[in-house]
Amino acid sequence: MVLKEVEKLLDELEKAELEAPNGGATPQTYTQLLAVYLYQNDICNAKYLWKRIPANVKANSNELQQVWLVGQRMWQRDWPAVHAALSTEWSEDINSIMNALKENVRERAVILISEAYSSLTLITLASMTGLSAPEAQTLATEREWKIEGDMVQPKRIDKDYHLGQNSLTEDQLHKLTQFVSFLEN
Amino acid sequence: MMKVSSLMASSLELFVNNVRTLSTQGNFRELCDIINKSTTTLARNGPHLDNVLETLDLQQHSLGILAVLCVKLSLPNANGANNPDAYKPLLNQVQDFIVGCNGEQVRFAPDTYTELCHLLSQLLIDLQMPLRGVDLLRRAIRKIQLFDSQLTSIHADLCQLCLLSKCFKPALEFLDTDITGISQEGGYFDAKYFLLYYYYGGMIYTALKNYNRALYFFEVCITTPAMSVSHIMLEAYKKYMLVSLILHGKIVTIPKHASQIVNRFIKPLSQGYHDIATAYSTNSCAQVNTVMTKHQELFVRDHNWGLVKQVLRYLYKKNIQRLTKTFLTLSLTDVASRAQLPGPTEAEQYILNMIEDGEIFATINQKDGMVVFHDDPEKYNSPEMLARLEKEMEACTELDKRVLEMEEEVLLAPQYVRKVCCHVDQDEPLTGPVHTNVTNTQGQSKHSTYSM
Amino acid sequence: MPLPIHAEVFQQNAMEPMQVDAPTEDNDNTEEEPYIVENPTLDLEVYANSYTGLAKLYRLIYIADHCPTLRLEALKMAITYVMTTYNTGIYQTLHKKLQEAIGTPGLPDIAAQSTSQDIPAIDHMWLESKSKKAALKLEKFDTDLKNYKSNSIKESIRRGHDDLGDHYLDCGDLSNALKCYSRARDYCTSGKHVVNMCLNVIKVSVYLQNWSHVISYVTKAENTPDFSEVHGKDNNQAVITKLKIAAGLAELTTMKYKMAARHFLQASLDHCDCPELLSPGNVALYGGLCALATFERNELQKQVIFSSSFKLFLELEPQLRDIIFQFYNSKYASCLKLLDEIKDNILLDMYIAPHVNSLYTQIRNRALIQYFSPYLSADMRRMATAFNRTVSALENELMQLILEGQIQARIDSHNKILYAKDVDQRSTTFEKSISVGKEYQRRTRMLILRAAMLKHRIHVKGQARDTTQGGELSVAPGNSSIVSRN
Repeated sequence: MVLKEVEKLLDELEKAELEAPNGGATPQTYTQLLAVYLYQNDICNAKYLWKRIPANVKANSNELQQVWLVGQRMWQRDWPAVHAALSTEWSEDINSIMNALKENVRERAVILISEAYSSLTLITLASMTGLSAPEAQTLATEREWKIEGDMVQPKRIDKDYHLGQNSLTEDQLHKLTQFVSFLEN
Repeated sequence: MMKVSSLMASSLELFVNNVRTLSTQGNFRELCDIINKSTTTLARNGPHLDNVLETLDLQQHSLGILAVLCVKLSLPNANGANNPDAYKPLLNQVQDFIVGCNGEQVRFAPDTYTELCHLLSQLLIDLQMPLRGVDLLRRAIRKIQLFDSQLTSIHADLCQLCLLSKCFKPALEFLDTDITGISQEGGYFDAKYFLLYYYYGGMIYTALKNYNRALYFFEVCITTPAMSVSHIMLEAYKKYMLVSLILHGKIVTIPKHASQIVNRFIKPLSQGYHDIATAYSTNSCAQVNTVMTKHQELFVRDHNWGLVKQVLRYLYKKNIQRLTKTFLTLSLTDVASRAQLPGPTEAEQYILNMIEDGEIFATINQKDGMVVFHDDPEKYNSPEMLARLEKEMEACTELDKRVLEMEEEVLLAPQYVRKVCCHVDQDEPLTGPVHTNVTNTQGQSKHSTYSM
Repeated sequence: MPLPIHAEVFQQNAMEPMQVDAPTEDNDNTEEEPYIVENPTLDLEVYANSYTGLAKLYRLIYIADHCPTLRLEALKMAITYVMTTYNTGIYQTLHKKLQEAIGTPGLPDIAAQSTSQDIPAIDHMWLESKSKKAALKLEKFDTDLKNYKSNSIKESIRRGHDDLGDHYLDCGDLSNALKCYSRARDYCTSGKHVVNMCLNVIKVSVYLQNWSHVISYVTKAENTPDFSEVHGKDNNQAVITKLKIAAGLAELTTMKYKMAARHFLQASLDHCDCPELLSPGNVALYGGLCALATFERNELQKQVIFSSSFKLFLELEPQLRDIIFQFYNSKYASCLKLLDEIKDNILLDMYIAPHVNSLYTQIRNRALIQYFSPYLSADMRRMATAFNRTVSALENELMQLILEGQIQARIDSHNKILYAKDVDQRSTTFEKSISVGKEYQRRTRMLILRAAMLKHRIHVKGQARDTTQGGELSVAPGNSSIVSRN
């Protein structure tokens, strides 16, 4: 899902909640809003949204509870549990965003592993990424991580590769000159 | 009986006529005076107020409608029942008014306008539907504000509704804008609303874990000039201490411009919190825990228990951060024992989370159970960093400019000039040097301003 | 007007502000936990002979309080000495202490037996006659002073005040002594008199432990016009030494060890004659330890080891001299061992005892820092041997020093190696400037807001009407949502 679309959806949903007559939005709105917050990894706002959803709405929507279960696990940063909570069938309303969230979470886990571990067991790798052991092994091979027995040695993912291209622009140089002349005066 | 009621009717008629004529003439100041004097009349005629509203136009007679709605909100509900449904018509009327009224007109009666908003939020709180007012108050503020960074007393209401409805995002657009001016509300801005805005704002930021901003807001609250103890200030002080511990690991010294009241009266009233700070300074989680248990009742009563628990969590983190400053390598078991965590698994979990949040730089080696700590890899040589630096410098120069402008304003203010003159007069009877004096200082303030 | 309002507020909270405040006030007192010294190697006779006057009495009492094995001897010595003065107050206190000491069970039997016969009993006759004599003397000095005053002869009045002060001091009435000495000030006609007055005040202030007073009178004396010329050359040296010693003592007791060391180092042994304050041995000890704890290596070399004047002092305390030399020659293990050996004795010294622990820690830290300074990496196991510590205890000590920024290093706990850390100046500068910028922004925003605040005269007034009440009420509901749990 494109980031801009999510932002737009979020705006609409937040507006729908605020402008709901009598202060109660539809269960659908709540579920989608919660899913979007999670997708953005905005756990704080997700948590307070859950807290303010009327009790009867919560009780009557299984899916809403499911989504919050994911949120709760994300809040606790219990990676295996997050993956477990994510692997259910989602309804039309939130299917695409929850799938995107799933991808997001896995990517986050992979980046974190590459940063935080110089070596880890295949089991840890599998549970943090929510994959089976063979799948995890494939993931490691794909990323050219060295495997020795049951230990994996991740390689740091170079975060700068997509940022590297924008070098010093003319604009920045111009500002720099201005600044220097400010200091000199 | 007939006579009395007709008398009433005629006084209402008079009110309507006044509103219409004076509005058409554009004589809003006089209209305000008359409206202020008719509050009692309006209040006595509660049942007929809807008829009055029907005769008035939203855009043309905004001031009149404002007065009527204000009275309606302060009267007990005509329908008798105290539930959301019974108030629905009135709430809709208020909503239509705020959305559709003439901003220029209502600015002649900002005190009544803000009063309307205060009454509205109080009503919504009583009806336990605070979320209903969030969007409305947001619009209300935008309508009456002269510029974005102007504080109104409605700000406090909005924040309170946001807090009560646990919906914080709508308040952020206001909270994130630094206040540079305060609205004149009938020539008097109640310090209560000022304190409440910064107190509630601090609480919202705390809930969203933006502790930097939260500390700033609480600091504003506790440094407000004061001649007696305010409960808002006292509560803000307690939260200030806890947030300060979370953010800086110690109580940041309160600026000198804070009122004496804080040191003399508020500090002694917050002993439990000082105990936490003292325990915290030993870096011992066990000691903090002991103090927490000892004063649990107090913290729960103050609604600070959750925040106090955060303080403890942050102490664990701080202890791990201290380790990264002293060690190159350390086993997970040693991390656990030095950071007073139950075991290596918890230590690994903490480290993992802190790495993700960018709070430490380290790599874990599961093979031999060791952690290697690194320095901050930031080399300050990327274009992004340069852009960030530029932004920071720009912000600084902008602020600097603003201060210079303010200085100039003061220098040109008649009161200031008079004061300086008088001062010189007293020192030396000759009035000669006065003018050169003033122009001199002015000239100094006009040094080069740099814009980016 | 504001006061009654406060009272109201506190009544509402049912809390007494001063009570809550009280415990925080005595924080600045240096902690003085009772301790006991078991095995001193002190020759009490020699020790006591280095002092006169109240210095001698106070020191003996301190020893009696902290060392059971020397208690009786110290008290008896003090009683004998106090009988040569008019100090009936201390005489009675000493006897009370003596009674308690004898009454205390658990004293070594031998000591009890051997001394039981010659325990002096309280001499009421002496007390009575001394009190009478003292009163007579006081009356005489008083009338003398009145006479001088009526004749308005400045010099006599000054001396009269001094005599009276001397007498009060002899009786142990310190506050009156201080008053008399201070009054002499108005009748000083020469620089010499001023300095003399200062010395008197300093002496009494030391007894009263009023250290800020001591410092200010030292400065006053040193700033007296023609200070260097008023006394003869030799005499002048004596005065300077006295002032330096007093200043050093005052700095020491207020934990400014480096300043203290500097003062003591300027004393001259040949002119060090002030048994009513300190002995030359004290000067060596205080100055030496403070210097060791606070001086850089080159300072230690220049100002202590190669100082011709302080060398003479160190000869009086050979153990301390060895300690300083061992330290300088980087033989830390033996240096620290020697320090431990003299610890018992210096714990009986009333002025330095409260500072022994912090001075020792500082010396140890300095040793650790110096040990590591030439290295890029150091084996912590060898370091531990050099410092008489286990590796893990050393690790803790090093951690503390690194956190305090005293050692720029990182510990490789895996291989037990300490690595010097090279600081990236460029990065730190960037880091610093960013945080300074942030701080500036924060403060300027606050300033702008404050200007708006003042312009609109926003301030919390008294609880007029229901303002604060309402505020408090509306605080409560909002409050509940703050509890951020996880």
